[in-house]
Amino acid sequence: MTHQLPNAVDYAVPFFILLIVLEMIWAKRRAPEKYEPRDTLTSLAFGVGSTVAGALTGTIIAGFAFWLWDFRIATIPWTWWGFVLCFVVDDFLYYAFHRAAHRVRWFWASHVNHHSSQHYNLSTALRQTWTGFFTLTFLFRLPIVLIGFHPAMLFFVGGLNLIYQFWIHTEVIGRMPRWFEAVMNTPSHHRVHHATNPRYLDRNYAGVFIVWDRMFGTFEREVDDEVIHYGIIKQLGTFNLLWSVFHEWIGIARDVWSAPWRHKLSYIWRVPGWSHDGSRDTSDALRTRWLERQPEP
Amino acid sequence: MTANELAQLGASIIAILFIAWLAMLMGLGGDVRIGDEEQARRLANEAVDGFIPVEVGVDRAGMAALLKDVAGRHLLLRRHGNKFVGRLLDSRAHMRLDRNFLTIGTGERLLAPITLDLGQSAQIWASGMRVLA
Repeated sequence: MTHQLPNAVDYAVPFFILLIVLEMIWAKRRAPEKYEPRDTLTSLAFGVGSTVAGALTGTIIAGFAFWLWDFRIATIPWTWWGFVLCFVVDDFLYYAFHRAAHRVRWFWASHVNHHSSQHYNLSTALRQTWTGFFTLTFLFRLPIVLIGFHPAMLFFVGGLNLIYQFWIHTEVIGRMPRWFEAVMNTPSHHRVHHATNPRYLDRNYAGVFIVWDRMFGTFEREVDDEVIHYGIIKQLGTFNLLWSVFHEWIGIARDVWSAPWRHKLSYIWRVPGWSHDGSRDTSDALRTRWLERQPEP
Repeated sequence: MTANELAQLGASIIAILFIAWLAMLMGLGGDVRIGDEEQARRLANEAVDGFIPVEVGVDRAGMAALLKDVAGRHLLLRRHGNKFVGRLLDSRAHMRLDRNFLTIGTGERLLAPITLDLGQSAQIWASGMRVLA
């Protein structure tokens, strides 16, 4: 049986642009500093480049998925509940991927692109990686096909997942109703994820359902009276697009080149910020030091 | 890439240039400066968590600041867009003193050197930073 579904993201792009313009109008009236034209241009250029990279490599990933389909252990029917189930399972695997993307430098080198802006607005959502295929992160989501979800179903719900994550990149919305905040990923939860405040480092990896973070101990609630600072620990300090895309890969190459032989691989697979001589800080170290400075409750 | 994908790419490029132009036209971003030592201290702590300055020099135009902590570390804060970035200065850093003006480079190719007007304290900062070399 042949299944064909549209790429939902293609249809969503005009709405992305419209919402960015609306948010800019809000910023003009309420908080002009929330946008910076050069930062916005860089973010959007990231988005275009990522789309091109996706078009160039998508066929390979699709081919691999259809090859795996022949080895499935079951066949989930092409029904509405099959789609719902696929969406939930895919979102769980997204959580796993996303957590690895922050905890393994190889994956971080690609994912850091999304975090490299010091701003947090809807244009930041489009700051997507160019090197995702190279890191093989698509392997995180393909087990779905082995379970028995059709590849077309996977790609469709994956698109919906990406579309959902767009609107949560904003400071316009404070908090959603309590029941929604309890189950779904929201602007509040995702602001925490993009923060560099030690309290928030490596928290809230969820894509759509925040319940994964609550289940696996990585949830952190946004604190009302603490100003959030966005970006990465060592801010880029440049709008140069190519440096923004490849800086962490260059950092890995330099570290692997200069490290003693027995430590070379560690600069690839260990947590970002790890160093063999302890001269750098991981997010765990930063949070620990910050916690030590906090007064006793 | 197919002709359809190329057309989408062209449309996307036009769209992003339009949005960036619109952001400029709307005057988004603003002119952000370091107003006083207190703001510089706060920005330094944001840039390097736990950095507690004992000396602070703020550029008279508010575009940058130089801070030193009790361990003798020097931190350069400089404007980037309408935000600030901070760098702990090490042996790669270089500087040039011209009366009240201290030009500092971090050694990073994409982070251009910046000149701070520190008044008469520029010379004190310069001598304090010679230890980095």
